[in-house]
Amino acid sequence: MAPVMNSTSEVEKYLKSLKGKSVDASIDSLISLFKRRQIAGSEPCAMATAHILLQVVAKTKFRDVDHMLETVRQVGCKLVAAQPKELVVANIVRRVLGLIRDEASEQRNEGTDDDASPEEPFPPAADAPEPSEAPSTKYDGSTDYLHSGPRHVRLGALMSVGSFPASKTLLSLLEASPPGHPSLSPLAKDSGTSTPRLGHQNARISAIRAEIIDGIEEIKDEISQVDDQIASSADVQIRPLDYVLVYQPSHTVQKFLLRAATKRRFTVVIAVDPRLASSPREVPGEVPFASFRKKLQAAGVASMNIMNIGQAAHMPRISKVVLSARCVLANGGVVTDAGAGHVARAAKEKGCPVIVLSGVYELSPESSMEEDELVEWGGAMGHAGFSDGLFVKGAQLQGAVTELIQPELVDSYITNLGIHSRNHLTTIVADHYKAEDVDFQLWGDAER
Amino acid sequence: MSHHKGKSGKKPARAAEAKREDVLQAVIIADSFQDRFQPLTIDKPRCLLPLANTPLIEYTLEFLAMNGVQEVHIYPGAHGEQVEDYINRSRWATESGRSPFSGISFIRVSDARSIGDFLRDLDKRGYIDGDFILVHGDLVSNMSLDRVLAAHKARRQAAATNIMTLVLRSGGEEQHRTKANAITPVFVVDTKTKRCLHYDETHPLQSDHYLTLDPAVIDELSTDFEIRADLIDAQIDICTPEVLALWSESFDYELPRRNFLHGVLKDWELNGKAIYVDVLEEGYAARASNLQMYESISRDVMGRWTFPFIPECNILPDQGYQMRIYGVSTEDGVEIASNSKLSNSIIGRDAAIGSGSTVIGSVIGRRCKIGQNVVIEDSYVWDDTTIDDGAVISRSILGYSTVVGKRASIPAGSVLSRNVVVGDDVKLQEPAVLSVISHDGSPVTTDTSLLGPSGKGAPYVDPEAEEIDPEDPSTLQRSLIYSLAHLSLSSSSISTLDSEGYADSDDDSLATPFSGDTSRTRLSSFASDDSGAALGNTSFHHDAVQGLLDALRDDTGDFEPAKLEFMGLRLANDASDAQMRRAVAVAFARRAAELLTPEHGGLDASKAADRALSRKGASTFIHEVGVGDPASDAEQVEFILSLQKALVSLVGSSRTLALEKSRAGTLLAALLQQLYNLDVLEEEGILAWWAEERALGGGGGGGKDGELEDKMKAVRERCRVLVEWLENASEEEDDDDDDDEDDSDDE
Repeated sequence: MAPVMNSTSEVEKYLKSLKGKSVDASIDSLISLFKRRQIAGSEPCAMATAHILLQVVAKTKFRDVDHMLETVRQVGCKLVAAQPKELVVANIVRRVLGLIRDEASEQRNEGTDDDASPEEPFPPAADAPEPSEAPSTKYDGSTDYLHSGPRHVRLGALMSVGSFPASKTLLSLLEASPPGHPSLSPLAKDSGTSTPRLGHQNARISAIRAEIIDGIEEIKDEISQVDDQIASSADVQIRPLDYVLVYQPSHTVQKFLLRAATKRRFTVVIAVDPRLASSPREVPGEVPFASFRKKLQAAGVASMNIMNIGQAAHMPRISKVVLSARCVLANGGVVTDAGAGHVARAAKEKGCPVIVLSGVYELSPESSMEEDELVEWGGAMGHAGFSDGLFVKGAQLQGAVTELIQPELVDSYITNLGIHSRNHLTTIVADHYKAEDVDFQLWGDAER
Repeated sequence: MSHHKGKSGKKPARAAEAKREDVLQAVIIADSFQDRFQPLTIDKPRCLLPLANTPLIEYTLEFLAMNGVQEVHIYPGAHGEQVEDYINRSRWATESGRSPFSGISFIRVSDARSIGDFLRDLDKRGYIDGDFILVHGDLVSNMSLDRVLAAHKARRQAAATNIMTLVLRSGGEEQHRTKANAITPVFVVDTKTKRCLHYDETHPLQSDHYLTLDPAVIDELSTDFEIRADLIDAQIDICTPEVLALWSESFDYELPRRNFLHGVLKDWELNGKAIYVDVLEEGYAARASNLQMYESISRDVMGRWTFPFIPECNILPDQGYQMRIYGVSTEDGVEIASNSKLSNSIIGRDAAIGSGSTVIGSVIGRRCKIGQNVVIEDSYVWDDTTIDDGAVISRSILGYSTVVGKRASIPAGSVLSRNVVVGDDVKLQEPAVLSVISHDGSPVTTDTSLLGPSGKGAPYVDPEAEEIDPEDPSTLQRSLIYSLAHLSLSSSSISTLDSEGYADSDDDSLATPFSGDTSRTRLSSFASDDSGAALGNTSFHHDAVQGLLDALRDDTGDFEPAKLEFMGLRLANDASDAQMRRAVAVAFARRAAELLTPEHGGLDASKAADRALSRKGASTFIHEVGVGDPASDAEQVEFILSLQKALVSLVGSSRTLALEKSRAGTLLAALLQQLYNLDVLEEEGILAWWAEERALGGGGGGGKDGELEDKMKAVRERCRVLVEWLENASEEEDDDDDDDEDDSDDE
């Protein structure tokens, strides 16, 4: 049932419903929507996830950056647990976590640079021995940051009232102090020097917050522009007189082909899931993908719908297969709509290239996952008529929603960054995710 | 946030109204005023019972949330405090800050006796100011109502008299586990407009399988319509506030379908309202309204028909199901021995399954301990249950914290409620309904002979079971396993006889005449039959018989008031002639049988018959009401048949009025003679009855009716003397016509 519903409009509905709601309520309602599969498919899931994380970052009161990291991580775990099969959810969470880490280290680096500034004399005597240490210690791994920073800063935030001039130095000093430094906390406590930190901390957090909000907005823009950017590679890929086979073309594929159609003359063969062909549609009697085909026709490109066995008949003429991914694994495996697998296999047998279209946000750092863990199973409705009482009584049905296509079946990957080969994917993964967030999902499982 | 644009403020009143319109409200009736889940519901409301390890009300609330409902009103009814407590502590409570609803409220009605009382109360309160969805607290559905709601709105805007849309699911013509057993809803729907023209219910126990369709419907409302008995009715109704007003107008409506819908549709000329039907081909909807439906829906959940409301989607926040191999969904912390066999099951957190055990098609609750070499098939085991080594359980419900001892066996159809203990080596032979508390919550003494020395609990006795009219189809819904087979074996059932062999194949025979056919010729047979109106008067029989019996027992006084009362009852229920005849026959037969018993004087048959019929006015009453005045032969035959059946039903019954076959026969003969003497029956009528095939208990019945046929024959046989005497008397006038017929019949 759920996949039939229009997820995109559900996302819009969801975004509208957020007005005036608390962050917790928004998170819960998104979790429910995920669980009910009312929001399904990579783009809607990614968009909703990015949006809710934006809300979390914008509306929650953070004590410090670590608090922010931890909060986002926790929310992320909940979202992933609600729909573990949509890997894009975890991807977006990882991207946001990465953003926060970047901002934090940037700020800290600024902070440490400032240590050399004339502000230095301000720290009281008790802390005097420390500053000398600070500038020399450079931390670029946020892991250390994670362990060292929070305790002290939190302590400071707790006992802070006062109007002592803001001191960046002290804070950076604390942050930069080696992990497990024993002397610092008691010192800070006794001396009362932590008081000035609050105002500074707030300013800092809001600066980071603003940066991260911008960053998430960028991610959202990226998600919404993916289709157009991918389409820009279309005329390179599609050549005149090509016979292009597509399976259940998504918006991405449709845009891609329509863009190609503005320059090239080719033929599109649309393989249709028999379930879709038989399900009732808004305009009775309309063939599947009617509006897409009309647009193709307007551009002068011929198209035809085929089903099941028809594919075998057309295979010899096919020169290219274009599939859209729900998710691409780091090793090149592709999670697609169920049914695309046999198209890919047939193409491999015949020796024609298989092109996978995918946004970078759909590229997951996971690679070692079992097929069982990746494939989503849907309901029985839609695979067989529920009105057939005897059938319902006698048969046990499992309908796959997604399917894993092995890496060796895919020839090239087109993302919003361009055209890639399989080996190149790891580089893109490394560019977009922080190493410490790759295991994000495992963390989530362990804590549940 | 919502009023950030200055421009939109130019029609503030209109905007406010529109905003109000957008708020979708829902009303959940969480009490069904039934006891079909007893003894499981003695201490817990139905809507909190777990289905596939998730409380039923969760499915209902999820369904509403999924369809964008914003305000929910709940009528908790019985055990209301538990429902309120549960909701208030859940994520649904608005105080939790996480609820998808903007408001969720409970409405307590202290003196409500039916769903009708709830809805009339709702009307008075005026909480409802727009369209609302009316559902029950045991609904499981994943339907998307967007389109239905839009269609409803469009219709309502077209005409304010379009007040209601019923959301139904087509269920196919074949048997279907998710269709309600026993009671088949029949909708007459206009093919084009989808307006519902008539509603009726049929069931296997009724005496005739006809429905009465008001000819005016055909003349004025529609010429092209479908009669559908194939629909799954989960009672999801989209209503306007006018619906509540209609409930208020008729203070005696109790049930939303049998009373309200039937009544409103029947009086369409008076109230001018129209009700529509939306039959969906997509999505799932069903109500766990009895144990059989509970089982069916559990199967549908395991069969993934209710997707996304299946275990691995983890609807509840604290659930963590994952699907494993062989269709088994397990939560964390489940221990499964490596050599156990599991398939198509749901296993809750921290349950343990010992080695060599088999679990097939079952739901196992949290923290259940299942020993070694246990076999559990198609069963529903709730939380904290312990099943010891070697036990065998098939197709049963095991309530919370029950214990099944070593090597015990629980046969299909059993229901064990909370804390029942079945001792070691106890092999229950018959499906048992066991409980440790009685219907009023007081503890019962353990039946150690049944459950073994270490057992706890006793067979549950429903205090109302005796009072229920055996003809009420709801009796068929009381057990876990739906079966009509036992009826023909159970001698206490009058109904089997009335069903005339129709009971065995009801679904098929029903589906054929009704299979969505709009031919006019067939319809005329619906319309012309006067014996229909099967609805709303199952209680008629019961009340009428009781009233007459009371009047008959009271030896003094006039019979006239009883007659008036009877006629009043008849009018109120719109009872058919056949029903009246039967009620009268049963009342007199019971009274006569009663007089045979020692407590009432132990009279012999002829005296008893005399006494029963000699009440002043009684014979005229039978003459006028029971038989008909002037009576045709056919009517007399029907009446005698009714008498015969009533007496047969007493044969070997467990009631106090039990009769042997021979005595019942003698009594019938005595009654007939008495009636003949009183000129109520004529010789032609009695002879026609003698010749009648149905008097032999036949009439197309299946093989299962053997025992009944036997009894019918035995009772009839006793009247041979009387018949022969009558024949002789008639032979004097008219020679041997009857004789031949008689001979041919006796073979």
